[in-house]
This record gives sequence, C-alpha cells and structure tokens, in this order.
Amino acid sequence: MDPLSLGLILAVVTVLVLFSGVSVAVGLLIVSAGFLLIFDGARSLQLLPEIFFGKLDNFALLSIPMFIIMGASIASTRAGADLYEALDRWLTRVPGGLVISNLGACALFAAMSGSSPATCAAIGKMGIPEMRKRGYPDGVATGSIAAGGTLGILIPPSVTMIVYGIATETSIGRLFLAGVIPGLLLVSLFMLWALYDTWRSGSADALSGRSFSWKERFEILPRVLPFIAIILGVLYAMYGGLATPSETAAIGALLCLLVAIIIYKLWSPKLLWDVLRDSTRESVMILFIIAAAGVFSYMLSSLFITQSIAAWIGTLDVNPWVLMFAINIFLLVAGFFLPPVAVILMAAPILLPIVISAGFDPYWFAVILTINMEIGLITPPVGLNLYVINGIAPEISLRTILVGSLPFVACMVIAILLLCLFPDLATWLPNYVMGEAV
Amino acid sequence: MAADSNSTLSGPGERTGWLKIVDHISTTCGWVSAAMIVVSVFITCQMIFVRFVLNESTIWQTEAVTFLMVAATLLGLPYVQKLRGHVNVDLIPLMLKPGARKALALFTLSVSIIIVALMLVYGFEFWHTAWSRNWKSDTVWGVRLWIPYLAMPVGFGLLLLQLVADLAAVITGLDKPFNINKESR
Repeated sequence: MDPLSLGLILAVVTVLVLFSGVSVAVGLLIVSAGFLLIFDGARSLQLLPEIFFGKLDNFALLSIPMFIIMGASIASTRAGADLYEALDRWLTRVPGGLVISNLGACALFAAMSGSSPATCAAIGKMGIPEMRKRGYPDGVATGSIAAGGTLGILIPPSVTMIVYGIATETSIGRLFLAGVIPGLLLVSLFMLWALYDTWRSGSADALSGRSFSWKERFEILPRVLPFIAIILGVLYAMYGGLATPSETAAIGALLCLLVAIIIYKLWSPKLLWDVLRDSTRESVMILFIIAAAGVFSYMLSSLFITQSIAAWIGTLDVNPWVLMFAINIFLLVAGFFLPPVAVILMAAPILLPIVISAGFDPYWFAVILTINMEIGLITPPVGLNLYVINGIAPEISLRTILVGSLPFVACMVIAILLLCLFPDLATWLPNYVMGEAV
Repeated sequence: MAADSNSTLSGPGERTGWLKIVDHISTTCGWVSAAMIVVSVFITCQMIFVRFVLNESTIWQTEAVTFLMVAATLLGLPYVQKLRGHVNVDLIPLMLKPGARKALALFTLSVSIIIVALMLVYGFEFWHTAWSRNWKSDTVWGVRLWIPYLAMPVGFGLLLLQLVADLAAVITGLDKPFNINKESR
C-alpha cells in the first residue's frame, strides 16, 4: 500500500481509537504498535521500549514538572483572589474597571499558574458573583472568565509552549516571547468586547466603579507581588542566559513552594502533599503522552507516512494561505475534542515541516496553534473551562455560559486573522530580544 | 491545562481484598514518583549553585535528574491510572447506553492491558540486555544503564497490575464504566 493511503487509514483508525474512551497515551501506543505489527512485522515492536525511553531521556523535559509545581503551588493559595482584589482596588477609576480587573487577573493568574481550569476557578469564584452583583450581564461575567482562563497556555511561562518546543525542537525561550504580544492583544480584545457588550445590554451603570482608599490599595500589594516577582525573575534568568529553562524553572518551583509555605501559610503536610500530588499527576500524564507520541511519530516516519504527506503537499502547488487556512480548520476541529498537549504532540511533527516549507515562521505558527487550542477550551464538547464555570456558578445555565463565551471565541479568531496580516506581532519580540532565528 | 472532558467523572468506589492491595501499591508509587520530582528540584538547584556560585563544573547532576524524571514518569503511571488522571476523550462512552458503555469499557481496558503487557515484555528485554552486557552511559559519570532502564519493566508492570484491577472492578460492578455516573443522554 502506498504511504499516503496508509496515512489516511491511520488517521481514521487513530480518531476511532482515541474516541473510544481509552486514555490518549495508551491509545497512541495501541495505534503505533498495531500499525508497526501489520506493516513492518513483529520485530519492529522490540524497538518500542527503547524509543519510549529515549523520548523521556531529555533534560529539557524537567521544565514541565517544574513549571507545573510553580503553578500548582500558586493555585493552592489565595493568590488568585488577592490578585483580583488588588486589580479591582487599583482600577476603580477606569470605566468597567471590574470586568477589566477580572480579565487582567485572569491573564496574570493564568500566566503564573499555567492552568486554565485553575484560573477559571480561582478568579471566577470571586469575580463572577461580584460582577453579577454590580449588574454585569451573566454572559459577560461568565464568558470573560472562561475566555480569560485560556490565556494561560499562551502567556509565558506556558507548559503548552514547552511541549511544542520539545516536539519541534524549537527554542522554548523564543516561544515564550512569541506569546507575549499576542497574549496582550487577546486580553485587550476580550476587554473591549466585555465593555461594549455591557454597555450595549443597557447595563452601563455597572461600568462605574467603587472607590478605595490609598491605604486599601497599598495593603494588598505585599500579598500579590512575591509570585509575580518570582515569575519575572525566572523569565529574566532565562533570557539573561544565566541558565536553561529547566534550571530556572527548578529554582522557580522551589521559590514558589517556599512563598506558598511562608506567606500563604501552607504548613500542613496534607496541603503540601495535595500540591505535590496534583503536580505529579499532571506531569506524569503529560510526560506519558510525550513518550507515547514519540513512539507514534517514530511509527509515522518508519512507515514513510510523514515524508509522503510533506512531499504530497509540496506537489499540490496550493497558495500558502489556503494551506494555512486548512491547517487552522484542522487544528480547530482537533482542539474541539482533544487536550492541547495531545494535539500539539501528534500534529506538530507532521505539520511543522509543511508549514516551514510553505514559508511560515515556526514561532509564529506556535502562537496560531496555541490560540486554536484556546478556542477548544471554551467550546463544546470538551470545553473544560465551561464546565469549571458551571461548577462554580451552578445558578447560571451552561447555555448562558456557552453563549457568553462565543463572542470571545470570535475575538480569538480576530486575533488569528490579525496575526496572519501582521506576523510581526508574534515574531518581533523574540527577534528583538534574542536576535533573528537562524 | 489539559484534562478530562467534564465534571461527571468521579473517583473509584470502595475496594477490598487484592484490589485494595493494588491500590496501595499504586499510591506508594505515586509517593515515590512525587519524591523523585522533589529530589530533582533540589539536585537542579544544587547544580546551579555549584556552577554559578562555586564556579565548578558539574558531573552527575544533569544525567541524574534526567533519569529521575524518566523514573518518576514510569513509576507514576500506575498511580495516575488509579486517580483516573490519564486524559481521555469520553464523548462516545457518554453517548452510549449503560450496557454498551460497559462493553466498550471492558474492550478498551482489555486492549490497554495487551499493549501495556507488550511494553512490559519488551521493556524487560530492553532492561535485561543492558544488564547482561553491563552497558554504561557514555558520559563522565558513566552510570550503569540497567539502573535507569529498570524503570521500564517496573513502571509498565505496575501499570499492568492497576489496569487488571480496574478491569476486575468494572466486571464486578465496583467501578462504573469510564467512571461515568450519569445515565446515557
């Protein structure tokens, strides 16, 4: 059978296996072993453990559990609520200060914790009731939190970006920088829409703020600054060339744990174990998928599927933008069903050579891919953030939350279009800080 | 960041007998895995201290941390399986009627068991080769490779045990198929 038809069969089988409810990592191993057994003989199976082990045998992977520990220790504290309160106190004079504080707190907290559901839960628990109390429409209150939570995978430090960097052998530092401006762009678009929608729905009164004394404004700062300082310190150490992402992340993890223990009084062994247990669970889950996806891409290339797809697309002679449009649709659909890490690990090794040969920048593409994944987090059927918000605000129907989130999905699509029109939005900052990529 | 698709998931029910023993073994693996991650944090910090403060070169740290991560991942597998933490897509199971859902759960668990058993058998061979030929890593530290490779058969072996226990729990009705609590839509 020629590799292209084989690729088609493989795609169908992979979708069927992954949708059967088997875990993603085991599913990838099943498909890989099955295809190798049928098309390459039983002997090729002997290599699987070596490939599996080889994928994990990589110092760069250390950054994944380290950034996850940083996020989990921050998420275990009241830091989210404090952050939200601090922004609310400082942004009182800004029209619509409350929804802006919420989105800003989401962006900051998402960046620090790197976790979408944790962000929705931490900021939403405080923010949603407060916004509703002050007269914001339910859709704006919930949609802004759901959308704000997705920023965690784009704004650095982001575990999703690390996974992309490992899967495609691109620079993690550069990827982080590429996400900064698009992240700010998205937050701004979200804020604009939230303000407009509130004004449009006749709830303009809600936009006026509440005032706080300067004492109230300053007393909250000591509670929010330590974590922000650590994150900035980690990023500075990375770009200052002091240490690799894995090394700085390890120091960051230690410092975040210490701040959680000292400032937020996370003394009890049980609470500490909760942080470690959650970090271990999340890390092991991701690392298992990374190793299994490594076996999967080994199977793809040993059956010449990767190479044939790239060669076939090369002969098609399509406009690069048509190609990019098709890739975006593919990513969007994949993101509706699969978690970001799984999509990136399966798709990036196949797509990246195609994307690069069509003349696109790999760092720009990482941002496009990530925004597509963000959309998947707030759209059915697997939109995790929607369910988290449904859990913390059960009195609002899932339908209202979903409808409230849709305009924010539109904001993300607009951001993708802007990035296509102005690729510099993603590539300028990394090039400015780290020099042109070679 | 990633995750299960919804809030209808819950932990496994109360287990007794050998199922409970397997749960305990998996939990212990989780502790060991978490401890390895914590130890890696400290070794990495120590490495940075040696390199940047003492200005000396480091020999064993990078490799040790890398192998600790591999071992943490593999030993963590049974624990994360016990917590139902390996992310899956449960759309089709959610759409099925309870009977069909149970059949599908038995099928996917059985296929998972086969692939994990395969990884265990070949993983053991992989380890055994390194052990019998006394392979060493080609670094200054020159660690004997059978030590880190041991995580392959051990990790997959314990994952196999947990999966068999989960299969038994679904067969006996102790666990809901795919841990989905509600009836079909």
